[in-house]
Amino acid sequence: MILRAENLAKHFAAPGGLVRAVDGVSFTLARGETLALVGESGCGKSTTARLVLRLIEPSAGQVAFDGEDITTLPPNRLKPFRRRAQIVFQDPYASLNPRLRVGDTIQEPMRVHGLGSAAEQRARVQELLALVGLAPFHAQRYPHEFSGGQRQRIGIARALAVQPDLVVCDEPVSALDVSIQAQVVNLLKDLQQRFGLSYLFIAHDLGVVKHMADRVAVMYLGKIVELAEKRTLFANPRHPYTRALLAAIPHPDPALRGRVKPLGGDLPSPLNPPPGCRFHTRCAFATELCRREEPALVDGVACHHTAELPPLDMAYAGGLSETATRRLARYAQAAGQRN
Amino acid sequence: MSRPGTLRMLTRDVGAALSFGFVALVVLAAILAPWIAPRDPYATDLLAIMQPPGGDYLWGTDGQGRDILSRCIFGLQVTLFMGLVSLIAGGVIGAAVGFAAAFYRRLDGVLMRLMDILLSFPAILFGLALAAIFGPGLTSVIIALSIATVPLMARIVRGAALVVMGQDYIEAARATGMSDARLVWRHVAPNCLSPIFVFSTLRLGQVILLGSALSFLGLGAQAPVAELGAMAAQGRNFLFIAPHISVIPSLAIFAVVLAFNVLGDALRDALDPRLRI
Repeated sequence: MILRAENLAKHFAAPGGLVRAVDGVSFTLARGETLALVGESGCGKSTTARLVLRLIEPSAGQVAFDGEDITTLPPNRLKPFRRRAQIVFQDPYASLNPRLRVGDTIQEPMRVHGLGSAAEQRARVQELLALVGLAPFHAQRYPHEFSGGQRQRIGIARALAVQPDLVVCDEPVSALDVSIQAQVVNLLKDLQQRFGLSYLFIAHDLGVVKHMADRVAVMYLGKIVELAEKRTLFANPRHPYTRALLAAIPHPDPALRGRVKPLGGDLPSPLNPPPGCRFHTRCAFATELCRREEPALVDGVACHHTAELPPLDMAYAGGLSETATRRLARYAQAAGQRN
Repeated sequence: MSRPGTLRMLTRDVGAALSFGFVALVVLAAILAPWIAPRDPYATDLLAIMQPPGGDYLWGTDGQGRDILSRCIFGLQVTLFMGLVSLIAGGVIGAAVGFAAAFYRRLDGVLMRLMDILLSFPAILFGLALAAIFGPGLTSVIIALSIATVPLMARIVRGAALVVMGQDYIEAARATGMSDARLVWRHVAPNCLSPIFVFSTLRLGQVILLGSALSFLGLGAQAPVAELGAMAAQGRNFLFIAPHISVIPSLAIFAVVLAFNVLGDALRDALDPRLRI
């Protein structure tokens, strides 16, 4: 177990009350594992990422890294933890200092931690550039000379410079073109296998999550509503919100459109979250109980009615609809006649 | 692939190259004043007072028959010294306050309210107060102008630093566990250079003018010391008979301030790697 978050919370004071950005989140992350944290914008996933790295101070709860509680460590004793846990950001344009050459950006973490001589560090910079698919001469260039995908590779090289155990990826591909996304995702997977990295992978694109994650935690308004193995979650979503998220994935087969009603309305304000189950304002299955009582995360799902949810036709998870099958057969026939 | 260096960038644009050359010339002239001034700036020639430019005295003479060209060259020395020293002293302190306020948010309120207090006094008032304490003279003027520059620079730097500190690369730097000093020096400060440069060049012009105004009031450079502002002030009595006595030092101030402004813009661009293509 590399990481354990226990009842983690972050409340921001705002005019009109407390914004409960993250409100009691618990999860674990094993060595070499990828845990994806998914949810809408504003559900608190990025805040959770920053709490885990203690880039911001939690309002409550604790984070244990490799068995050590890092939430109570005085700042001057955080340095060993800082070497072992790194971050990759969403926006590859904002995450590199425009005035530093790329080589200096990658070398800096090694300097800070005094890893090796200057010559060794420079050699390692070359090694890291090669590792993420860039050329040695790129070290002499400035960030603005690179494309978004290349910059993201630089960000990854910087994170790997100190040989961390944990890398928090805060939507590392959501700012990239789709074609580049695949490259970066595959790079992250390769690196994970080679170095046994653990990823806390923040995302809102379930397609990427399906490719990357071992386990998935679905967040809604600062809470985890469902936490399950990836396969289980995609095959059998047990929370109405997870179902809605999965249904929102565009599907190439038009006959499958509209099987699950898309979610209406907006995310309620975390300033005054709805009482009871936070999802009840948008949930088709909500009852009086949901409005009154907050469900606990039991057996990986936080829903009063999870057992009563109608069985979901998960045909869209793999196969084709009848209409589509028929249509394809017709096309094949037509093609055969032409030949 | 070779990339143009800072100096190369400075000389690529015509305006920048001209201003760079002119500023270099002005600074050299100020330093070398005793050797290049054609005459003694203090020698009076009572037989040739208020001579117009041209003739024996290239830029004419003032009301006491002193050579205006020589006085301008020597005046440059005093004016530049006054302007640069107060700008640098006030700027460095102001920048330190600004970075501290942006970085240690707990200090922000206190520091910036202090700056507001400083800001509420006009620079001329500082000059008057310091002249009353230390007596009139260049030292008082420099201190007054430095103090007047501190809050302005602090505000500019704080604002710029707050913007930079919201960037992801600052968070990435924090995540590496580097010290605060290193974070500010390597990541925050270099990215605040543009507004600092723009403000400094603007402020240099203002400081020179303020210094001249204090000299005009008799609080700065004392007669017979040649200082461009004081010279312009002394010529005001003869504005209708011999306008060149005021106009020439004023033009000198104008040219110097303009050149520094253009140079500041060019320097800002030259130091930005994003514009180096």
